[in-house]
Amino acid sequence: MSGEDRFVLCMLAPALAILGLLVAYPVGLLVFDSFFKVDTITPHIREWVGLKNYIDALTSKRVAESALRTIQYSVFALFFEFTFGFCAALLFSALPGRSRWHRTVFTLPLMVPPIVAGLLWRFLLVGNIGIFNYGLVYLGIITDPDAIAWLSDEDIVIYSVSFADIWLTTSFVALVSYAGLTNIPKDLLEAARIDGANALKRFWHVTLPLMRPVIAVIVIVRAVDAAKTFDLIWIQTQGGPNHASEVFSMNIYQRMVRFGDLGEASASGTLFLIVMMLLAAAAYWKIWRPAHA
Amino acid sequence: MKNFLSASALALIFVAAPANAETINILVEGGGEMLQKAVAEKFTAETGVEVKFTVVPYQGVFDKFSAEIASGSSAFDVVTIDVVWNAKFAGHVEDLSRLFTDAVRKDLPPALLADAQVGGKMIGMPAWANAEIVFYRKDLFSKPAEQKAFQEKYGYPLAPPKTWQQWRDMAKFFTRDTDGDGKPDFWGTDTIGTFSEEWMAHVLQAGSPGVILDKDGKVIIDNEAHKKALEFYIAPHCTDHSVPANVNEIGWGEAQNLFYQGKTAMMKFWAHAYKMTPADSKVSGKVGVAPMLAGDAGSAAIPGPWYNVVPSTSQHKEAAKKFIAFAIANNALGIEAPLGLAATNSAYRSYSGKPGYEHFTPLLETLSAPATQGRPMNEKYQEIVDEAVLPAVQQALTCKADVGKVLADAKETIEDILD
Amino acid sequence: MRRARRFNINGILVNAAALVLVLSYALPYVYLLMTSIKPAADVQQIPPSFLPAVVSLDNFREVLQSSALPKAFASSLAVAVLTTVLSLAVAVPAAYVATQYRRRITTLFLLFALVTRMVPSVSLGVPLFQLLKSLGLLDTIPGLVLAHTSAAVPLALLLMSAFFEGVPKELEEAARMDGCTRFQAFRKIILPVMIGGIAVTALFTFITSWNEFLYALLLTSEATKTAPIVIAEYNSVYGLAWGAMTAAAVLYSLPVIVVTLALQRQIVGGLTFGAVKG
Repeated sequence: MSGEDRFVLCMLAPALAILGLLVAYPVGLLVFDSFFKVDTITPHIREWVGLKNYIDALTSKRVAESALRTIQYSVFALFFEFTFGFCAALLFSALPGRSRWHRTVFTLPLMVPPIVAGLLWRFLLVGNIGIFNYGLVYLGIITDPDAIAWLSDEDIVIYSVSFADIWLTTSFVALVSYAGLTNIPKDLLEAARIDGANALKRFWHVTLPLMRPVIAVIVIVRAVDAAKTFDLIWIQTQGGPNHASEVFSMNIYQRMVRFGDLGEASASGTLFLIVMMLLAAAAYWKIWRPAHA
Repeated sequence: MKNFLSASALALIFVAAPANAETINILVEGGGEMLQKAVAEKFTAETGVEVKFTVVPYQGVFDKFSAEIASGSSAFDVVTIDVVWNAKFAGHVEDLSRLFTDAVRKDLPPALLADAQVGGKMIGMPAWANAEIVFYRKDLFSKPAEQKAFQEKYGYPLAPPKTWQQWRDMAKFFTRDTDGDGKPDFWGTDTIGTFSEEWMAHVLQAGSPGVILDKDGKVIIDNEAHKKALEFYIAPHCTDHSVPANVNEIGWGEAQNLFYQGKTAMMKFWAHAYKMTPADSKVSGKVGVAPMLAGDAGSAAIPGPWYNVVPSTSQHKEAAKKFIAFAIANNALGIEAPLGLAATNSAYRSYSGKPGYEHFTPLLETLSAPATQGRPMNEKYQEIVDEAVLPAVQQALTCKADVGKVLADAKETIEDILD
Repeated sequence: MRRARRFNINGILVNAAALVLVLSYALPYVYLLMTSIKPAADVQQIPPSFLPAVVSLDNFREVLQSSALPKAFASSLAVAVLTTVLSLAVAVPAAYVATQYRRRITTLFLLFALVTRMVPSVSLGVPLFQLLKSLGLLDTIPGLVLAHTSAAVPLALLLMSAFFEGVPKELEEAARMDGCTRFQAFRKIILPVMIGGIAVTALFTFITSWNEFLYALLLTSEATKTAPIVIAEYNSVYGLAWGAMTAAAVLYSLPVIVVTLALQRQIVGGLTFGAVKG
């Protein structure tokens, strides 16, 4: 082993140890459980069922519907989080002087306990007491505070419940992007300016390519988290009305915890993992390091 | 890292070692600590056994107890569980039959005894119980002008509602547009679209032999009583328009808030809310209570009791049982707590007539009504409700679905789940 | 000349846009703050009002009277700080070699970190419970720190990798030329220029742990119960104490505001990697 290899290994070892000890075993267990009929509270009693749990999950209409809703939810949330967050980062870096206070105030949503954030958004949106619609009336967007039933209209509820997510996590996108932007060597931008590139060109040809890894990580982390989110939605609607805001990970949670069906829930969890892996790998090769594609 | 781990493990052993005096650990939800604190103090004073409460949020009781059972050993000697989990945990707790003496049995409403029994085993002892009763605005009901107007319109006197028809009439009567914008802003009552227990109470009032399942576990959610109850449940919203229209957003909290904010004239609600009415609320001092509504089978409700159980893995089973026996014998001690609930007839009766406890008489009457019974004791109860019952109620509340078909579909889903 | 440019019309527009964006995100928080100073009967008024008609500190009084909260804050703070330190200590070196010494094993390693970020956390809860139980670490600060670290390391790894990706290899080579060992180059040359990225990563690691609910619920009891659990208890089956809950949430946000302000100071622009090349 060369000195370089030894150095790499030494630097990796602690992280490997932590993840190996605390995550590899549970992940292995998840995959293992997915081949059994087994109850969550009695994991020692199990019956091998092969791929039955996978077949059940893949043929269940409920699972398919909740998977579709997960896509609607994640794409909607990710789009707005990224748009607002990235714009915020660009604005912050364009601000004269340091934007420390702007950034701190922008991070306020993350400082509220998630359960309170969920309830807060429920109470902002729910009829009778929801001040959100009164705000829209004040701005002249709607005429009647009862005009939009955010949390009980089956057609829009899956989007309404993502407001809380967007509110909570835009600052993640903003701060990480901002840190990425500050890492871009100023002299590169200066050189481009001297070459006569305008602001848009500088952004497109200098800033954006250098931001690729940061953008990739943001997209991957946020997409994974949005797809994993269920507690925020659970607090707001419990997946209702009539399952209209039930997402895939909520379905997994319900089966695993509330219904105790560990085997089937593990199969769904494993499927979730596989799909997310494929998406993340795509994001890695396409955005992070397109040169290696 | 390794040193760090073993050092803290060692530290733990040293801390745990000197705890020689017997201690029992109780896992409870916040309300459970409040209601059992007084009895625990008395128990420690009399027996020398320390009682330690571990308080967690509601869902935490289920999650933590499940994790403990799955791991094969338990740090808890008593767990206070919601009745909806009784069937689920029945196989992992001690049989407490010995504690159900004749005196204890006689002192408990029959529905609470029935819920304690799962598969021939007495799995837990009621700690306290609750049920939905009728709340109404005393000030409005006693106003001569209202009384006169009601009598003229409906041909019978205005008094706390007893029957389904009276409930609908009075809800319609009180629904008003007070600010003249053409839309009601004061309602007769509310309809809850995010929970299904209230509908289940109406099912019992309609004379169904059971809710969702009958005694033999057959699915009866499509019987006539379920249908009639669902039609009644949605009528104030779909036909009478005497409730706020966003029914599928209304849960217990919203219903209670509408009433406390003086926006509804009546509500069916869990009895504890009577004592919990905030002193600075708009309706403070104006709240009247009556037993739950009656249908063809008389008054009935779905009780909301909590049970003290002893996990099979407990290391202090005898002390735990001693505590549970002591708690039921001194059941009235919980009443002084803010929630003010108990389980035994005698505990409730010891407070009857005391000012501030007017809700005890209707509560006890409702709990002891012959048609009152618990939710079906089935391990898959939670799944049945989440997957079939609540969606059925929510579909019916769209006012567009055929009630018979909705229930027939629900039956099919439930049979699938039970298979 | 530059100074003058800042006060042109673009500068005003940028300022205005930033202000609108920041304020609209702050608004729900301000509403929470306003709710916390309303008297109990008004916290869920119909129709709602933004500002309190009467200012009342009853909610704060109620929250501060409860003995559980200060202790829970102390536990939360200890766990979050230790988690942040441990996660960074583990993740920063790993992310560095994973991006600067790229080889098959490091790519695999990054992928593995990603997987751990994707597992539904409910399925990790019970195995972690058993693991900590066998180590005797249930309901201890080190136990919860380990659990939170397992959740925070993947995030920290990914974020730091993204930031390290922008570091030119020449930086290390120049340092090695001057006689540094690989580790010295990493510690003395690379880390200082990465301080902004490390600060952001630290912030989100801290917040991950500070806000974490499920592990804290399963892995702690009375001794080390964290603040999110205690705050969740205001939402009981017998009713939601929304006034008290908002007051607790406001208090809960104060330590994070301090941490954020401190860390934000580190995120500054103007690193000139180009200078190294020259």
